[in-house]
Amino acid sequence: MRRTVLALVVVAGLVVCGCGDGRPAEGDKPRVALIMKSLANEFFKTMEDGARAHQQANAAKYGLICNGIKDEQDVQKQIDIVNQMIAQKVDAIVIAPADSKALVPHCKKAQAAGIVVVNIDNKLDDAVLAEQGIRVPFVGPDNRKGARLAGEYLAKKLAAGDEVALVEGRPNALNGIQRKLGFEDAMKAAGMKIVSSQSGYWETENATKVVGGMITQHPDLKAVLCANDSMALGAVSALKAAGKLGKVLVVGFDNISAVQGLMKDGRVLCTVDQHADRIAVYGIEYALEILDKKTTPADRETPVDLIVPDGVQVPIDPVQ
Amino acid sequence: MTPGRPGDNAGPPRLPPRRAGPPAALVEVVGMLCVLVGLIVVFGLLTEHFFSRTTFYMIAAQVPDAAIAAVGMTFVLIIAGIDLSVGSVLALGGAVLGVAIVRWHVPVPLAVSACLAVGLLCGAVNGLVTVAWRLPSFIVTLGMLEVARGATMTVLDSRTAYVGSAIEGISEAAFLYLPVPFVLALLTVAGGQLVLTYTAFGRHVVAVGSSEETARLCGVNVPAVKLRVFALCGLLASLAGVMQVSRAASANPNAGTGFELETIAAVVIGGTSLMGGRGSVVRSFFGVMIIAVLTSGLAQLGVQDPTKRIITGLVIVAAVVLDYYRQRLGRRPA
Repeated sequence: MRRTVLALVVVAGLVVCGCGDGRPAEGDKPRVALIMKSLANEFFKTMEDGARAHQQANAAKYGLICNGIKDEQDVQKQIDIVNQMIAQKVDAIVIAPADSKALVPHCKKAQAAGIVVVNIDNKLDDAVLAEQGIRVPFVGPDNRKGARLAGEYLAKKLAAGDEVALVEGRPNALNGIQRKLGFEDAMKAAGMKIVSSQSGYWETENATKVVGGMITQHPDLKAVLCANDSMALGAVSALKAAGKLGKVLVVGFDNISAVQGLMKDGRVLCTVDQHADRIAVYGIEYALEILDKKTTPADRETPVDLIVPDGVQVPIDPVQ
Repeated sequence: MTPGRPGDNAGPPRLPPRRAGPPAALVEVVGMLCVLVGLIVVFGLLTEHFFSRTTFYMIAAQVPDAAIAAVGMTFVLIIAGIDLSVGSVLALGGAVLGVAIVRWHVPVPLAVSACLAVGLLCGAVNGLVTVAWRLPSFIVTLGMLEVARGATMTVLDSRTAYVGSAIEGISEAAFLYLPVPFVLALLTVAGGQLVLTYTAFGRHVVAVGSSEETARLCGVNVPAVKLRVFALCGLLASLAGVMQVSRAASANPNAGTGFELETIAAVVIGGTSLMGGRGSVVRSFFGVMIIAVLTSGLAQLGVQDPTKRIITGLVIVAAVVLDYYRQRLGRRPA
């Protein structure tokens, strides 16, 4: 009995490994490794899907190896993946670093091995890059600008002096910090009063609790600006429990599919789309271009759009 | 089903004498009640609006999932086991519920049943593997934590599913000015305590936790007891999932991350021993309430995050230390 089970497990294991990451076909075409953060996160999942679709459409041009880590804090695991890709002798690495400092030495190692490295989504720290004496081109959105746009849109619905609150992302995440700054830029410019700013750790449940506290402590609160849509869902659930739906406006970020329904119901005012499905693709295209033309790497900004309920995209930042 | 039903004279000998009759139980709860009231008073003094109907209504709306999962966890800890998979099972149950409604257009009662069935199944597998190979439940449920999380992401395709009004009714309904999920949680807690204190199964649970060998020699079917306890814990975790989905009106693939530790903390604050053989469902509920009041109060104060974490950690440890002294006081007269 036990032996049968063991055999089954082994077979299952083999099957799983066999149909795992689609190994790129060998040949002369370049192999690109896409290294992302948490695949549990819808944003990166969308990014990966976009990259895979792009590779299938351009199968003759390059091969793709996708890897992600379990959660966004698993920096060590991501470092291991970078080293595995160096050992695999891929031609290019496109990476969304889990930590903007810790990954720099490993990107340097990859460059020393002759691999083209492109940084997407979360920008590597400039000071550490300078210290290590390397340059890594960055391809990604300006989070601060995106948040400012959402904030400015919100400000039009409020009056100067109104009380607002921020729900921040994970405290050490650079994009979360950028979004917070963007919200603050817009709120200060419009003369709003930020009465509270607390972290919801990117998650719905945490945001529910934090926003629950905010609205009881500040009964005159007029709006909650959330650094991502999952937390906007949490804010809505807290407002619902307090009977304040509609009286307090909610702003999100990321444009996840679930937020569409909320905007239609009038529970979320607006969100911001960074076109996750395009970010990795831009990174890959950029890497291929560098491989092809041996150009000098420069940073490239990807588009950020404000999304409002009636499905209208307000284009802000057309590429190039 | 169980060898020895309640009131069965021919059953196995009475296992460890039960201490907790109703009055004794009341005494046991007093200490925790003091901590709870103390916290409420402190926050009431520190913030302007803590003493308000909204605050208490919101806490009542937020605790049902943790309170329900804590009931199952209490049973698991009493048999000297542990269940690390509750957060993932909660998420998987929620995922099945959300997808059943949104994608398969299944009627809500059927979707809820499917969700509960999934939880029961996960719990039963935990129990079965633990019992069949005599493995530590720590490692078995750690495996389930991964498996159920992976399954959740597969079911939801790693995306949050917005369920909307179909499921919100559950959390919006009120009964005697209380949110229905809270009433449901109170009933679960009461039911759990009654089962633990007054049924043969409950006493077998305590017996298995005190000494498996003695329990076995006394004629208790140890594997059956364990299996049922884990199945119960899985079932309650998925019920907690229903609560979360209805509250957030959406099923989130990352729901319940870290929930297992939160639940274990609440149960241990409630004086249930990690070594097994001792525990109370009602007190676990107070543990849940202490953490909920603390979270809500700190959010109202707008405390910075590092401070929040330090205070939460200190209160958890302080509550357990207080419990140590309460126990010593309790033992002296006996």
